[in-house]
Amino acid sequence: MTGEDPGPLIRLFGLTGGRARPQGETFDLVAIVSTAAGSHEFAELLPEHRAVLALCRRPTPVADVAAHLRLPLNITRVILADLRREGLVTISRPRPAAQTIDERIYREVLHGLRSL
Amino acid sequence: MGYAASEPGTTAVAPALAIKILIAGGFGVGKTTMVGTISEIRPLHTEELLSERGVGVDDLSGVESKTTTTVALDFGRITIRDGLWLYLFGTPGQDRFWFMWDELALGALGAVVLADTRRLQDCFPAVDYFEQRGIPFVVGVNCFDGARRYDPAKVRRALGLSGTTPIVLCDVRRRESVKEVLTTLVTYAVKGLQPAERA
Repeated sequence: MTGEDPGPLIRLFGLTGGRARPQGETFDLVAIVSTAAGSHEFAELLPEHRAVLALCRRPTPVADVAAHLRLPLNITRVILADLRREGLVTISRPRPAAQTIDERIYREVLHGLRSL
Repeated sequence: MGYAASEPGTTAVAPALAIKILIAGGFGVGKTTMVGTISEIRPLHTEELLSERGVGVDDLSGVESKTTTTVALDFGRITIRDGLWLYLFGTPGQDRFWFMWDELALGALGAVVLADTRRLQDCFPAVDYFEQRGIPFVVGVNCFDGARRYDPAKVRRALGLSGTTPIVLCDVRRRESVKEVLTTLVTYAVKGLQPAERA
């Protein structure tokens, strides 16, 4: 990504139009991305965009989308924000831990860790 | 989407949820190893491109005259069940990326501060950071091969930790050991939900 070959950087620039920041409401590295219904028939989309739409038919955290695309997280977020603006994906809103992680979730996590 | 009916009487809403746990500590203390030991995927290493603006008050003078810099971020994943994931993020070691910690820490379940007893001072910044923000954390003392076992009470004193912050001796290369650190953290964090003093 940061080697001598400028190719990847140029590609990243093309994907984001040189923007370093996602547009619109901010979202977390582990916000859940879901492909909006009926948004799979856009042949004109970039391959990366199509890959996101295919992947996020199952709700997928942002970090996993980045891993899947093999792109840096912040580049991925620019792409996701663009797709959101087009109404092609939805991204869950950031919420404080106290609201999202209740006791039942803690118990599930504990149980899951112990049975690893 | 995401609204599956479950047992009657419950709120019946189970949206997908990804939970963050931060792995912090000084450079070379074993953060990436810890993530790799427990992650079900090969730890993902991404290099984030940051604009100068993002770096804020960071002092880049004399480093390199470029308008972007990179910060390495490692993360791993544990699937608890379909629609519930745990993400382990190794925090960037350099102090100049504190602003990135803020984002990582937002909404996090808690943190593991890895300590190497040969240079305990390396984890002071992380301890301070989580204490100031009220983020539950445990200290994992990474016991390398041949290192003598340390008395957790001494580590507690040296780090100025409160009496309740758990300290776990661990070997981040061993899966069972990492499991113990993480379950200790989750158990500790859940206690914070119903504040109850314990001895």
